[in-house]
Amino acid sequence: MKLTELMTENLVDPALKGAGKDEVIDLLIEKLDAEGVLKSKRKFKKAIEKREKEGSTGIGFKVAIPHGKSKAVNKPAVAFGLSSDGVDWNSVDGDKAQLIFMIAVPEESAGNEHLKILQMLSIKLMDEAFRNELLQASTQEEAWQLLEQIG
Amino acid sequence: MKVLAITSCPNGIAHTYMAAESLRKAGEALGVEIKVETQGSIGVENELTSEEIQTADGIIIAADKNVDKSRFVGKPLIETGVQDGIHKAQELIKKFETGNVEVYEESRATVEEGKAERKSQQNAFYRHLMNGVSYMIPFVAVGGLLIALSLAIGGVPTDSGLQIPKDSVWKQINDVGVAGFTFMVPILAGFIAMSIADRPGLAPGMIGGYIAANGSFYGSAAGAGFLGGILAGFVAGYVAKWIKTWKVPQMIQPVMPILIIPLLASIVVASLFIFVVGAPIASIMSWLTTFLNGMQGASSVILALILGAMIAFDMGGPVNKVAFLFGASMIGQGNVQIMGAIAAAICVPPIGMGVATLLNKRKYEKAEREAGKAAIAMGLVGITEGAIPFAAKDPLRVIPSIMVGSMVATVIVMLSHVGNNVPHGGAIVAVLGAISHPIMYFVGIIAGVIVTALMVNVLKKNIS
Repeated sequence: MKLTELMTENLVDPALKGAGKDEVIDLLIEKLDAEGVLKSKRKFKKAIEKREKEGSTGIGFKVAIPHGKSKAVNKPAVAFGLSSDGVDWNSVDGDKAQLIFMIAVPEESAGNEHLKILQMLSIKLMDEAFRNELLQASTQEEAWQLLEQIG
Repeated sequence: MKVLAITSCPNGIAHTYMAAESLRKAGEALGVEIKVETQGSIGVENELTSEEIQTADGIIIAADKNVDKSRFVGKPLIETGVQDGIHKAQELIKKFETGNVEVYEESRATVEEGKAERKSQQNAFYRHLMNGVSYMIPFVAVGGLLIALSLAIGGVPTDSGLQIPKDSVWKQINDVGVAGFTFMVPILAGFIAMSIADRPGLAPGMIGGYIAANGSFYGSAAGAGFLGGILAGFVAGYVAKWIKTWKVPQMIQPVMPILIIPLLASIVVASLFIFVVGAPIASIMSWLTTFLNGMQGASSVILALILGAMIAFDMGGPVNKVAFLFGASMIGQGNVQIMGAIAAAICVPPIGMGVATLLNKRKYEKAEREAGKAAIAMGLVGITEGAIPFAAKDPLRVIPSIMVGSMVATVIVMLSHVGNNVPHGGAIVAVLGAISHPIMYFVGIIAGVIVTALMVNVLKKNIS
């Protein structure tokens, strides 16, 4: 299984707009909702915010991974946005987040294949060369091809 | 230096694995041996063993979630957030080099911990078995499928079983498959022993497994099969582990793991088979043969029940061999119905387990489900060994299920007076025209398969 099996091309945005963290979260939630991933935008946003309160998901290296595990999620999915200006995400290293992955995971689901995929994504994001390539992506297609390597 | 780490985060989806990867990379960069246990939403992966903890120079816990520290009493321990695992991995590891890391002490050894300890010991048996089985599965699959293919296409029925002509290319393919099967029991035993005693256990385990599988070492017509292999693996592993605890002079310490421990443990496990286990196996075989010969006049149902149970019990081991050879010798005396019943029993364990994996995916791991498909192919051409990975991993649930299934098959086939004049089993003998009443032959097999599959799935729990 590949990461891109948890994604559609509409969930990849190489020119993510939105100035603040809250706005970006809303934008990505809209994308997930448009693809039928969510039962309730409001409940999913609550899960996302709850996780951010426990500690920012801005992991540094210009990466943020807001994620929520919630009953409001129909199927596991990942949305990706690349912000050229960067978004302040309270990251540990102070850098703005440019590579933003929003991860939606159902509360209960059969099997853990999707968790394995997210594990692969996490590991791949620790690879500096990969991050730099992703930062260079300018079109949806380029970003998709890079994301296809994961899994 | 050797450092162990645990990473964990609230949701267990991303940070856990990022910190683990970052620590691994830092260890690599610093030339420090590191192993990271991840406690994420998938569950605990890459679990630290008590042995590894014992030999480690330090422990790092990078977690934003409570992690049980009772395992680390007496070890230098750094506790920090998961973010530090991601960003400060090198600094964390370097702290152990300067040596001023506090040793973790806990005065109150609680009852809870005692319980957890006992539970982990109970699970140890299955953990070692599983390690052996997971390494064995590819050998069974490769060997079984190649033998199955060459028998199905190149096999010719003869009085001495399904034979492949020597000048045929299928003979060579079959030989490659046989090579795979030859490694099956040694690999099982070797990796059971390695799970117990780490690397010094591998050689005595594999050597012990080879001896267990080859009866010629102890004057027996058949080896001790996979059950003997499991015994060899555990004996080799625990002997090696025990020798590791010996206090030896500094000078010979470097050669302990590569020479002394494997050598002594191999001698112990070999002696066990040659002097202790071997003779009883040979005498059980001759006793069983006499017993079966004496059963000829008895009720055919009872004989069928006994043969079905024997064929399934150790799948290629001594008990199975006795029943099979009895059936083959009966063909020579003009009684082809006994081989008919045996031929049906032979294919029930692999097909039954394969069908069981298809019926309920939640009770089998992915590798097992793949092994299940291979097992069905092996069953069709009469290779009982296809069920061995299942039986070796969970003997107490699987062996009774396949025995009952094979007994159902033998009784139905025996009562239907199905004859088979080729000493071989599976669907293939019917396809090749050696079976006198193919319909009842298949009815018996299908009934046995259904019984095995349903019974084992009722007995087995869902995997966690």
